[in-house]
Amino acid sequence: MTVPADPIRPSLVALHPAQSGIIPRGTRVEVFQQIFDVFLVLGTLVGVVVVGYMVYNAYKYRDDGGERPDDAPKVGELPTGGGGGRKLFLSFGLSTIIVVSLILWTYGTLLYVEDEATVEGGDDVQIDVVGYRFGWDFVYPNGHETSTLRVPANETVQLNVTSEDVFHTFGVPELRVKTDAIPGQQTQTWLEAEETGTYRARCFEICGAGHSYMTAEVEVMRPSDYENWYANTSAENSSAVAGPSEIGPRATAGPRASAVSQGVVG
Amino acid sequence: MSHLRLYTGIFAALAAFATAQVFVEQAGGLPYWTAFWVIIALSLVKAVLVAWYFQHLKWEPRSVSATIFTGLLAAIALTAAAAYSIL
Amino acid sequence: MTDETSDPRTDGGERVRESRRGAKRTDGGTAAAGHETDHHHGLPAPSSIKRWLVTTNHKDVGILYTVTALFFLVFGGVLALLMRVQLWTPGATILEPLQYNQAVSAHGLIMIFWFLSPFAFGFANYVVPLQIGAKDLAFPRLNALSYWLYLFSGILFGVSFFQGGTFAGGWTMYAPLNLPVYTPNIGASTAVLALLLFVVSVTVSSVNFLTTMHRMRAEGLTLRRMPLFTWTILLTTWMMLFAFAALLAALMILSADRLIGTQYFAATGHAGSLLWAHLFWFFGHPEVYIVFFPALGVMAECFQTFTGKRIVGRKWFIAAMVLVALQSFLVWMHHMFLTSINLEIKTLFMATTIGISLPFDLMVFALVYTMLKGRVRFTTPFLFSFGALVLFILGGITGVFLGAVVLDYEFRGTYWVVAHFHYVMVGGITALVGGLYYWYPKMTGKMYDKFLGKLHFAMYFVGFNLLYFPMFVAWETPRRDFVYPEIYTTWHQLSTVGAFLLGASFLVMFYNLWVSLSTGEDASDNPWQFSTTTEWAIPSPPPLENFPGKPSFSSGSLEFLPDGSDAGDIEPAGPGGREPAATDGGEATTDGGEAATDGSETDADDGEDDDDGKLVTDGGRVMTDGGQPMTDDEQVVADDGTAGAADANAGVADEKATDGGTVTVYDEHAADDEEHGEDHASIWPFRIGLTSFLFLVGLSGLRQGSFPEGLEGGAYLGLTVVAGVGLLWALVGMGREEFHGLEGPFGESWPFTGINNTKLGVWIFLASDVVLFGAFVGSYAFIRVAEGWQNNWHHLIPADHVVLPGLINTYLLLTSSFTVVLALVACEKRSKWGLIGSLATTLVLGIAFLINKAMEWQHLFHVHSEAFPNGWNIGTNVASSTFYLTTGLHALHVIAGLVITLYLIARAWNGAYLDDDQPVELFGLYWHFVDIVWLFLFPLFYIL
Repeated sequence: MTVPADPIRPSLVALHPAQSGIIPRGTRVEVFQQIFDVFLVLGTLVGVVVVGYMVYNAYKYRDDGGERPDDAPKVGELPTGGGGGRKLFLSFGLSTIIVVSLILWTYGTLLYVEDEATVEGGDDVQIDVVGYRFGWDFVYPNGHETSTLRVPANETVQLNVTSEDVFHTFGVPELRVKTDAIPGQQTQTWLEAEETGTYRARCFEICGAGHSYMTAEVEVMRPSDYENWYANTSAENSSAVAGPSEIGPRATAGPRASAVSQGVVG
Repeated sequence: MSHLRLYTGIFAALAAFATAQVFVEQAGGLPYWTAFWVIIALSLVKAVLVAWYFQHLKWEPRSVSATIFTGLLAAIALTAAAAYSIL
Repeated sequence: MTDETSDPRTDGGERVRESRRGAKRTDGGTAAAGHETDHHHGLPAPSSIKRWLVTTNHKDVGILYTVTALFFLVFGGVLALLMRVQLWTPGATILEPLQYNQAVSAHGLIMIFWFLSPFAFGFANYVVPLQIGAKDLAFPRLNALSYWLYLFSGILFGVSFFQGGTFAGGWTMYAPLNLPVYTPNIGASTAVLALLLFVVSVTVSSVNFLTTMHRMRAEGLTLRRMPLFTWTILLTTWMMLFAFAALLAALMILSADRLIGTQYFAATGHAGSLLWAHLFWFFGHPEVYIVFFPALGVMAECFQTFTGKRIVGRKWFIAAMVLVALQSFLVWMHHMFLTSINLEIKTLFMATTIGISLPFDLMVFALVYTMLKGRVRFTTPFLFSFGALVLFILGGITGVFLGAVVLDYEFRGTYWVVAHFHYVMVGGITALVGGLYYWYPKMTGKMYDKFLGKLHFAMYFVGFNLLYFPMFVAWETPRRDFVYPEIYTTWHQLSTVGAFLLGASFLVMFYNLWVSLSTGEDASDNPWQFSTTTEWAIPSPPPLENFPGKPSFSSGSLEFLPDGSDAGDIEPAGPGGREPAATDGGEATTDGGEAATDGSETDADDGEDDDDGKLVTDGGRVMTDGGQPMTDDEQVVADDGTAGAADANAGVADEKATDGGTVTVYDEHAADDEEHGEDHASIWPFRIGLTSFLFLVGLSGLRQGSFPEGLEGGAYLGLTVVAGVGLLWALVGMGREEFHGLEGPFGESWPFTGINNTKLGVWIFLASDVVLFGAFVGSYAFIRVAEGWQNNWHHLIPADHVVLPGLINTYLLLTSSFTVVLALVACEKRSKWGLIGSLATTLVLGIAFLINKAMEWQHLFHVHSEAFPNGWNIGTNVASSTFYLTTGLHALHVIAGLVITLYLIARAWNGAYLDDDQPVELFGLYWHFVDIVWLFLFPLFYIL
């Protein structure tokens, strides 16, 4: 993921200022909602039209016991196609246009969401997220380690996510942020919460007996509160040692020690 | 058998290419990636020689070669795209 | 591949054997009455259990597949119901967390592997040979073997539940959760081995179907003219051949990690987790189409039959499917959008993903427009096909949501994905259930109860949507999770109600199909009137040998020519001298009379159907045209004709027939020698299936390369050894058995004219082996890139790992390849001692290769250096793992080759192969392939 000096990327990124009028921007929540709504409306429309057309025609051309046409298929004939090609290509062309334009439109947003400028802003809050069976550790730049993710509201928060044992997926549904937590690999994502409050992070990839309970609290604080809280933390007063898991303490959860060095440092 | 001489010649070439591969590496004159591609190319040539003559692909319908080649393409697609994805 | 090993020709030509047999229609008189008098084919009656253990007939195997698949539907379905009960309210209720995970995983694995594909392949087995006009598959025994491996792999999976619980890491089996550190049950290993055995079955099956469909089509049935169901199976098997090879590699590596302690997927490595995802999804995405294409084929057949219309845009429909089949290998990373893959590759795979969705639009529209101006009959098969299309459209639309990467980010791991792929996959099942109703009369000769059929559909369709649609609404439920937000409780309860309704609908089906077996109306040849494909032109159920003559389409429509009339030009009495009426009439005692009987019978059953009568007439007219060979087979005809093979081979064929009569265990009717055609019975496939099963049960006890101490470990060890010996015995037994499959020439064989079935089978198998080794090499390359190709990698390897042993082995293997070439030359010179000498030299060189390798490994195992104080073992690090496993797999191939060499030497000693050197040539193909693999392993593992 970290490929700052990439030859392709600048040209890709250059695409979207021109389109920014229609390309959804903003927090992940806003972006998701806008695109999802458009897809939902169009998808419902297409679904109703196509299925309605099917049902209508199946009824219209139902067998009423009348004469069978002379050219009806017979056993033993070599398969051939029936007529109606023009209609077929018209519909096909139409569906292609709809699908391709929808996807291109969302691709602009993908570039925005994945943009280095968005993802790796200068003085954003940077937090390492480490998944383990069955909970999450959040490591702040000063070395403070905690089991509750505290972030300031209305600020872009960078997350570097990895796992120290098996494949997990870190996600906070209400903030529409999600990324895989893979041992030996780092993934980057970001979030921005507009309202203070308590949210819930959880695991989205099956990881063992405690998968359903692998959650963590996300506390979105007013920026000033956050500053105060952060100023009083340090590597020494970390609170993550106990582990929030309801299914057995993390001490029993696999070969942690060896994986930590691989996962976090890598 | 008129092919016998051909087969013998190919066998000699195969042995020579194998030796050449080791020589390219041991000599150490070439940059790593140049040597890499030279060695892989030699392997490819050897493989084609075996398949084409020893396995008689030369005398089989081309569709058989195409089938094998499709398998090879699939394997290369997997290798190349997977390796590229983490670069 | 042994079915035809005594083919006397090596130049790829075909034997002309049909001509010898003349009018051989031993069961002709009873054809319409079904196959209860098949004794003279060496098959016990269908009522005896023995019949089903030894049968190799494609129709029997098809029925076995169908019934077994339905059993696994129930198995997987019950697991699903357990999950739905658990989800009645948020939180654990009836299942413990780990039990729930097991239910989730086993449900997915069973439905996808042991139900969906095999269910489709039940139809494929039964119907495809009929549709293409073949009497059986190319390798009937291998077909039976596929079935037994399938059944026993399923039983093996069942056994895993009793070994401390089955695998609990999801059907995607993500690494490293799939390792014993995290899933320590022996049952988890067993589940992996069961899957491995299943993949072997699939590979055998793919080779068989591809050879059959490419080589054995009736005259005039060119690829372009194949029925759509057969087309879907053809493309499915091509995808299976390559996709399952990648899965085989993944499972072999996983088994090695679990059983002997290699380190590919360990969490301590940099890339193991991603490597699994790549390998799995490289298989996994084609797999989606592998399970869906046959359903599409059923829909296409049913839409045509029950609207009385030919499909709109047929050639574009086929082109779209071909495109999808090719592209399916280039979309796998869309399952990995949230992993650490880079943006460029995400973009690329987003594009290919959208690209692959478009051909499906075309197919859907083609089906919809086929209804226009038709006469739609709402029979049960049509209702299911129609319903399937509706469901597939909904699944497709919701799939476009997932194609938008930004949405996919949020849908990942939620019920949106669950709902989407159930709409697609179970949508496919819907069509296949339609297929079951469609072909039930053909397979059983009985019509099902139509009211119960429609009742089944009503319950099914309501139950389906009640089950899966609420999942879209409650999509924020995390997948494979039983704790979900309270607000979704009602939706999940609706879903659970739907699940039980869906399940109950199958009880109706089972009752209906079971009772109809004895009480149903007799089905006529073509109960659906407007169906066109060949299976509807023959009795229900078809006789053992399928057709009342040799099917041919060379006139433009189906016609059964008298047996023994080959492609016009070969017969001395060419079609020019044949008057239509005279030919039919002249052979009235055999086929002509038969066809006429069928025709009139159908008329009686099916008052309005006057086409069958016409068929006979058509046929008569047609035969005049028979002299015009199709362009495609002109080449074949010329080859065979000029080679004058017909005469030469008749003698050989006679000799074979005698052998067959006396050797085949179940053929007690030696009196049939004169008439002896194909064999239909062999017990060896069953024995191989059983011994493989026991062998793998034993092997599942292995952990880190050794069996546990104590009684349990001893039992596992003992079983492994005993069953391993048994397996070897069964393999040799099948190799030694004389078994006659079908022999050519066949009608249409494009694009594989000029190469016989057995050799083609070997080549197709080798193509899948290319992907297998390719995936191993790809895994090595991927891991090495992740670890750092040059410097970091070299730190993982001791200095004692030098080039020389590899170079020596390269020379040894190259020389052994050359001696195999010499062996074939000796055959051509009819030099017995030359042959034996060359083979013996090959054997010696192969053994030397293994000894050299053993010495090298011994040395590396016991290296004492600063970096590797405890030697460089298989589990030392990821570099040692890739080295030992990849070259070890190659060494296993060498050992298998040497076993075959021994067998060849023994036969050659008795004078074999001088007249028929094909076995030597086929062995050569394999041996050279093993050589070629080494040509790449040598630089990758020794030089670079």
